[in-house]
Amino acid sequence: MSWIPFKIGQPKKQIVPKTVERDFEREYGKLQQLEEQTRRLQKDMKKSTDADLALSKSAVKISVDLLSNPLCEQDQDLLNMVTALDTAMKRMDAFNQEKVNQIQKTVIEPLKKFGSVFPSLNMAVKRREQALQDYRRLQAKVEKYEEKEKTGPVLAKLHQAREELRPVREDFEAKNRQLLEEMPRFYGSRLDYFQPSFESLIRAQVVYYSEMHKIFGDLTQQLDQPGHSDEQRERENEAKLSELRALSIVADD
Amino acid sequence: IAQHHIPKKQLKVEVILEPHEVSLLWQCSKFCKPNLLDMGSLMIKPIQRVMKYPLLLCELRNSTPPSHPDYRALDDAFAAVKDINVNINELKRRKDLVLKYKKNDEDESLKDKLSKLNIHSISKKSKRVTNHLKILTRGESQVKDNTFNREEKLFRSLEKTVRHCVKNISLCLQHIQDAMPLALQSVMDLQEISHNKDDEMGYSGTLSNALNPCHDFASHLQRLTLTPLSALLSLFPGPHKLIQKRYDKLLDYNSYLQRSAGDESDLAKKEYEALNAQLVEELQAFNQAARRILSNCLCSFITLLRDLMLSAQQAYSTLVPVPLLISSISEIQNRVLEEVQNLNCVKDNSATFIERKLSFEKKKPVQILPEMPRQTDVHRSKLLSTYSAEELYQAKRKCNATQEYDINLLEGELVAVIEQRDPLGSTSRWLVDTGNVKGYVYSSFLKPYNPAKMHRMDAENRFCDDDFENISLFIFYAVHAFQARSDQELSLQEYQRVHILRFCDLSGNKEWWLAEAQGQKGYVPANYLGKMTYA
Repeated sequence: MSWIPFKIGQPKKQIVPKTVERDFEREYGKLQQLEEQTRRLQKDMKKSTDADLALSKSAVKISVDLLSNPLCEQDQDLLNMVTALDTAMKRMDAFNQEKVNQIQKTVIEPLKKFGSVFPSLNMAVKRREQALQDYRRLQAKVEKYEEKEKTGPVLAKLHQAREELRPVREDFEAKNRQLLEEMPRFYGSRLDYFQPSFESLIRAQVVYYSEMHKIFGDLTQQLDQPGHSDEQRERENEAKLSELRALSIVADD
Repeated sequence: IAQHHIPKKQLKVEVILEPHEVSLLWQCSKFCKPNLLDMGSLMIKPIQRVMKYPLLLCELRNSTPPSHPDYRALDDAFAAVKDINVNINELKRRKDLVLKYKKNDEDESLKDKLSKLNIHSISKKSKRVTNHLKILTRGESQVKDNTFNREEKLFRSLEKTVRHCVKNISLCLQHIQDAMPLALQSVMDLQEISHNKDDEMGYSGTLSNALNPCHDFASHLQRLTLTPLSALLSLFPGPHKLIQKRYDKLLDYNSYLQRSAGDESDLAKKEYEALNAQLVEELQAFNQAARRILSNCLCSFITLLRDLMLSAQQAYSTLVPVPLLISSISEIQNRVLEEVQNLNCVKDNSATFIERKLSFEKKKPVQILPEMPRQTDVHRSKLLSTYSAEELYQAKRKCNATQEYDINLLEGELVAVIEQRDPLGSTSRWLVDTGNVKGYVYSSFLKPYNPAKMHRMDAENRFCDDDFENISLFIFYAVHAFQARSDQELSLQEYQRVHILRFCDLSGNKEWWLAEAQGQKGYVPANYLGKMTYA
């Protein structure tokens, strides 16, 4: 094909069959996606646990501020309610912390460990790529010599090139085979690996929320008017507010 | 009767609102007697009458001789009617004062404020300031009302409480709105990773319902708690202003108490008492209502929280299959991870720096150290008596002998430095005496011995050691000599020991390490370095 002027534009000879290449790309693509997912999930979980902790801290602040107020000193009923609320909030904080620790242990740590495998995988793929480049290069050299006229020195060089090519080709094929075999296994292992984490996460949440429900349920029983419904309270508030607005000392808006 | 003052204004407004009634009235008046009074005149009749009575009675009394039997009754009647008038006036004064000072200051522009400034107001203000200072320095004022003080304190506490509640509950709501969707998202993401796409997609439906409770919670909380509390909070400034004014009047009245009674002091007294009485009465009502609202809002908050927790629990409950113990989780995961790590593609390519240097290490035989007698108290006291304080050092950590003439040290052992250099001239290796044997140790393992600070230093040093454990455990030496080609690099002699500060260069290239030797720093190629371990 020497009459073709643009040798550069010539497509690389396909030494690796298209199907193999495609399979490889597909498997590696899946793993790359998994890596991305793992990384993102780790970040999100960290954000989520931080947000949970901030939540319970601010809840505790509500009751602590209420308690520290001199208002409660004279008013026994209010004091009782606020003390009970404070206890509840502090227990909420404690349970939350425990939940976060649990999640840390059973979800975030495993995520990190799983993620630490990817650099090795990426290195392996890179090495295969390098091997492929070497293989291509040497293959091209062999073909170049094969096309020349068969003189003595050329034959010698051809033979030498073929000798060089063989181990490189074998190396590449070994790497390729290894990866093609092991990548799907790696990908499949995620199911067994992460299912326990998932279950543990769900369970931690369920336990936490059922505890919280119990705590706040008990608290509502302790309130000074447990019988009132929300609407009643709302109406009472409205009534009181208008009463206040009617007072002469209150500014007209 | 005094109530008419207020309703009169309102009545005027009401009349305007019902034009058909007005027209009716007008029509009636047209057909009626021409001298029929209009509404306004009708309303003012009782007031005029009340004011006439004292005058009437007064005239009557003056024209009655004191000896007349009715004189007494007249006198009493006159006093009573006068009282009525005074009461009406005072009540009116109270309402007027309140009305006057209730006016919103924000409506006044700077010009209005400036125009109000005149000699009179300035002198009033300065008098008040001096009186205030007098009270502060000399103690209580002569005029005091305990009821008021109590109510005012309650008022202020309530304001602070309501304000804090609004702020804290809003913040908490914000956090809830942040945290719950995040948690949900994480669960869904984790589910995606841990399950195949095809099966068990039914889960996602129930999970998204959990987002809604958060939404409902937010809107209910707004309606039931935050809005009423905010509305309540906005009502506080009005009375607050009046309380300030009352204090001003108190100061005025106080200042007059010292002097003789007169018209001015009378006025001040009346004003103060009017304002005081009005405030006392209404603050009590205010405080009670406010407290009720506060406790209602708190109850609503708690109830809402309970409901929120329940719905979250229910949402997550639909997903849990079989409960698993934590221990079995880590077992399962470790097993899976091991399998993965045993995959050849992973094993062959793990890129930790320790492994890369393994080739230097493989041939090194394990050194069997001879059993060294440890330092005893006898040795230590011998050292302490033989050497002066500057020469005494303590081992920061355990030192193992690696070269000829090196000695082993345990952490905390006392040594006296004989010479701060070794036979080769290196100043980092010192000749020391343990009281038992003499030998060489690295100076970086020693610190000056200070018996007073011993306990604290130990703790500190332990901390430092743990930090650098992984790095200082491996002292590196140059396998080949290296010539620096720029001043970023560090020249090394063969077998020269270096301390590694960083295992990559500024661009993250792991081939070049930042090393330090003999006080100089620079980059050296990693493959020129070999590792020496001090176990």
